[in-house]
Amino acid sequence: MAEEGVKGRNTFLRYIDLDKCMGCYTCQAVCDFIHDGKPYIIVYETSIGLKTPISCMHCSRAPCVEVCPTGAMTRDESGAVYVDTMKCIGCMACLYACPFGIPELDPELRVATKCDLCRPLRKQGLDPACYAMCPAEAIIYGETKEVADKIKRRKAEQLVRAKMLDYFPSA
Amino acid sequence: MCKEPENVPGRSKTKISIIGAGPAGLAAAGFLACKGYSITMYDKQPLAGGLMVFAIPKIRIRDETVFVGVDELRDKFGIEFKLATKVFADPTPRKDEGEELVKENLPLKEIIEKSDAVMITTGTWRSRRLGLPGEDGPGVLSALDFLYAIRLYEKGLTSHKPRIGRRVVVIGAGLSAVDAAMEAWDRGAQEVIIAYRRTIKQAPAGVYEINQLIRKGIKWIELASPLEIIRENGVVKAIKLQRMRLGEPDASGRPRPIPIPGSEFTLEADTVILAVGELATPPFEKENLGITVDRKGRIQVDQYYRTTNPKVWAAGDVVTGPSFIGNAVKTALYAAKAMHIHLSGKKLLY
Repeated sequence: MAEEGVKGRNTFLRYIDLDKCMGCYTCQAVCDFIHDGKPYIIVYETSIGLKTPISCMHCSRAPCVEVCPTGAMTRDESGAVYVDTMKCIGCMACLYACPFGIPELDPELRVATKCDLCRPLRKQGLDPACYAMCPAEAIIYGETKEVADKIKRRKAEQLVRAKMLDYFPSA
Repeated sequence: MCKEPENVPGRSKTKISIIGAGPAGLAAAGFLACKGYSITMYDKQPLAGGLMVFAIPKIRIRDETVFVGVDELRDKFGIEFKLATKVFADPTPRKDEGEELVKENLPLKEIIEKSDAVMITTGTWRSRRLGLPGEDGPGVLSALDFLYAIRLYEKGLTSHKPRIGRRVVVIGAGLSAVDAAMEAWDRGAQEVIIAYRRTIKQAPAGVYEINQLIRKGIKWIELASPLEIIRENGVVKAIKLQRMRLGEPDASGRPRPIPIPGSEFTLEADTVILAVGELATPPFEKENLGITVDRKGRIQVDQYYRTTNPKVWAAGDVVTGPSFIGNAVKTALYAAKAMHIHLSGKKLLY
């Protein structure tokens, strides 16, 4: 496909900083509201008690897109992976391919559904709702390079603080 | 949720009042502002944000994160914020926690009368007490009081430096207990002990949060319940506890803690922080202006978050009891949507 080269590039990235996430369920709440009771980011409490939100990673080389027999699983201009419901046959090959178990079958529409990084909101120039609403700033979203930079900046702060504790315990 | 308010002619004549500018109130305001309503928010604190700004440690939530949204609501969507204002039905408002900075009292009745619809999102600003001997007096405080005093001082809203204590015992194992213990420890208490009547497995804050504190150096004592605060000349010296064992599941589904006779022990302490739960604080004492509450004092709503007063909706912790921010946001968004559907007459719900 000719347009694959342009469409396939991730220009935006969403990263969830588990050091910051406090498991408050705000991302899930706002996603639930936007999608009429069906959230595409879900907070799970794991066996060690740490809560973590699970949602689509929008992989750069997404197996779900590769495996989709009808081309329904595709990318938008920013690289977000979404389902073109008109093309989807609900075979769920995408779910088999996904290492994170993300795609779900919508029993009414009988198509695969998943996070599309709030495509309708982004079309209006807004940000994905989970990112916009997270009070802990645990969800980082933006241009791939900006996100990478932000993550490293945070880690730098953490490293420095860990180091400082040896010398100044109250830091 | 939107870039600009929907331009619906005449809509802005519809006035909505939101009482309580915490996560629930702000989420509802965001949705309703997008629909173009004219909105006034009331809050007893001098800043919007509720417990996110006035209790939860800033290591978890930075004030700026909240204020960015608040500024947008005010500057872009024209929401009016009436802060340091306590709204209450009775002329003499009930004394809740965190009211040092209230400047004005407003009657709820007046607000309901001059609004087309009212949303109550006043949260849980009252802490449960245990009624132990020696509990009343200095040195024993609620987690909310403790955290609130720190937040106020941090923001320069008071010159009164919060007293942290040297040997601090926190009772309870919810998120308030965890946050209070963490603050006490980070602010230089020599010893911080959390005592909980069940085991770490039942801790409402979760095993992970408790383990994080233990790793920091905070002591965790489980299966222990307080009996008495021991004072000398009015000053807290120690806390007497007794050992518990777990029995059959109780009404909450968790194993019931049962006291073990003769197992009393004391812990030296100069500060005891009670984090044994918060209570809903609706803007009235008992049933008032047609709004009913349940046995626990939580506002009763129907499936559309409408109270028994047809002009009033309610959401967040004041409806559900203490919960997660996400839960407050979720109920408030659905409540706001139901209110909008009602006001715009889009779909007949009743």
